[in-house]
Amino acid sequence: MEQKLTLFELNQWIKDALNTAIPGTVWVVAEVSELKENRNGHCYLELVEKEGNEIVARARATIWSYTYRILKPYFETTTGQFFTHGLKVLVQVSVEYHPAYGLSLNIKDIDPAYTVGDMALQRKEIVERLQNEGVFDMNRELELPLVPQKIAVISSKTAAGYQDFINQLENNSPGIKFYTHLFEAYMQGSEAVPSIIFALDRIFEYEDFFDAVAIIRGGGATADLSSFDNYDLAFHITQFPLPVVTGIGHEKDDTIIDLVAHTRMKTPTAVAEFFISGAERFYERLIALEEGVVQVTRETVDSKQEQLEGIAENIHRFAGAFIHEKTRQLVKTGNSLHHEVNRFVFRKKYELNNLKHDLHSAFSVWKVEKRNSIDRQKGILKQVVHEALLNETTGFNRLKELTRHASDRFLAKEQERIVRNENLIRLLNPENVLKRGYTLTMKEGKIVKSIYPLQINDEIETRFSDGTVKSKITKKEGDGNKKSDL
Amino acid sequence: MTYNEAISEVEEILEKIENEELDVDELAEKVKRVSTLLKICKDKLLKTNEQVEQILKEMEE
Repeated sequence: MEQKLTLFELNQWIKDALNTAIPGTVWVVAEVSELKENRNGHCYLELVEKEGNEIVARARATIWSYTYRILKPYFETTTGQFFTHGLKVLVQVSVEYHPAYGLSLNIKDIDPAYTVGDMALQRKEIVERLQNEGVFDMNRELELPLVPQKIAVISSKTAAGYQDFINQLENNSPGIKFYTHLFEAYMQGSEAVPSIIFALDRIFEYEDFFDAVAIIRGGGATADLSSFDNYDLAFHITQFPLPVVTGIGHEKDDTIIDLVAHTRMKTPTAVAEFFISGAERFYERLIALEEGVVQVTRETVDSKQEQLEGIAENIHRFAGAFIHEKTRQLVKTGNSLHHEVNRFVFRKKYELNNLKHDLHSAFSVWKVEKRNSIDRQKGILKQVVHEALLNETTGFNRLKELTRHASDRFLAKEQERIVRNENLIRLLNPENVLKRGYTLTMKEGKIVKSIYPLQINDEIETRFSDGTVKSKITKKEGDGNKKSDL
Repeated sequence: MTYNEAISEVEEILEKIENEELDVDELAEKVKRVSTLLKICKDKLLKTNEQVEQILKEMEE
């Protein structure tokens, strides 16, 4: 039978072996999976190594308080990162083995440069992945509304930054009205990423309502930023339809979500200022436009008025000048007309006088001549009339003699003829004929010259010189049936 | 009406006035329009919109 050992003896043996095998200290790369500080200021950690998601090595570790007091601020100021779980670290350790408590690594020193490099590397990988997927700039390419007035806030109600943000927004100087709604999320620790993504999902339901999203977190000297170097969260932000503005309170390098966000501000107050200044610029633009319109309108109206006045003045001036000129012309024309008329009148008067004079003398001459001529003609006429009268008297006397002579002859001749006719007439008178024994036969008052109209028994009247008898026809002889030539 | 639409219209009118494209009658009408648009913008910017407040309130529930 082999020699029996107690557990303590075995563990003591392991301890001795380890001391021999790993003397002094070694530099170890590991990930901090857990970290606790106790009341005495000692720090207890769990270090792991992963292959993918699988843990392939695990070890407990401690940092004694006197070391931790120096290491922690050194690490945090160098990395800008809380010394907390999830970090990859390069630490100098001595391997300790305690028979009662087992294996533990005592951390003597830490190299922050490694963590910075690792974080940078991780971030670089995430950035490259987002770029390769073509989403990296998508949120930044969104157009921020002219006035982002309705803001969805992702923060923690208790975060100091949140209240600063709200106060800042509400007390802006122009009095611009902002509408905010808080979508609560954890802003640090392992819950941060999923709770922020959940908040984004809720805001997405009000996509049409909000103008922008603000992710804010109160500042501090340092902060746990590893949550914001997360691919999933960054991807969500790139895909979000509203512009995301970050203010997660840190001064150092930008986190991934700062890089993909539409706008990155350093603090929540700065985010509030960002929104206010946008709205203020717009407000100022409104005022400027207002003043501009008033001024331009006034200028336009003034210039129109000026034009009008100018035109009126010109009209006045031109009209005055025109009237003056026309008056002058008129006066001139009037004067010359007057002059011409005077000259004309004078000339005509002169001519008229001449004419009158001429006429007068011509008339005198003519009068004398005419008188002479008339006297002459009067003499001639008197002579002619005298001669004519003399002639006529002579002719007339001769004619008187001739007439008396002729009429005496004519009267004698007529006397003779009348006597002859008296005899003839005496012979021809029916009374005288009847007296000589001739009768006149009449029927019904008419003279009957033929037997033709007379019938047997007709009553006829026979006129004698001393009376009439009536008789009836008893017989008719001769060719009395033939019509006579009456 | 969005801020953008309002501002664009105002700027368009302003440009027309500056270029003297408007006669005096149109000018009066356009200036009135500008004043209305600016008032809308200012009110929207500075005064609380009850409808918006109501929507925010509904989000709480």
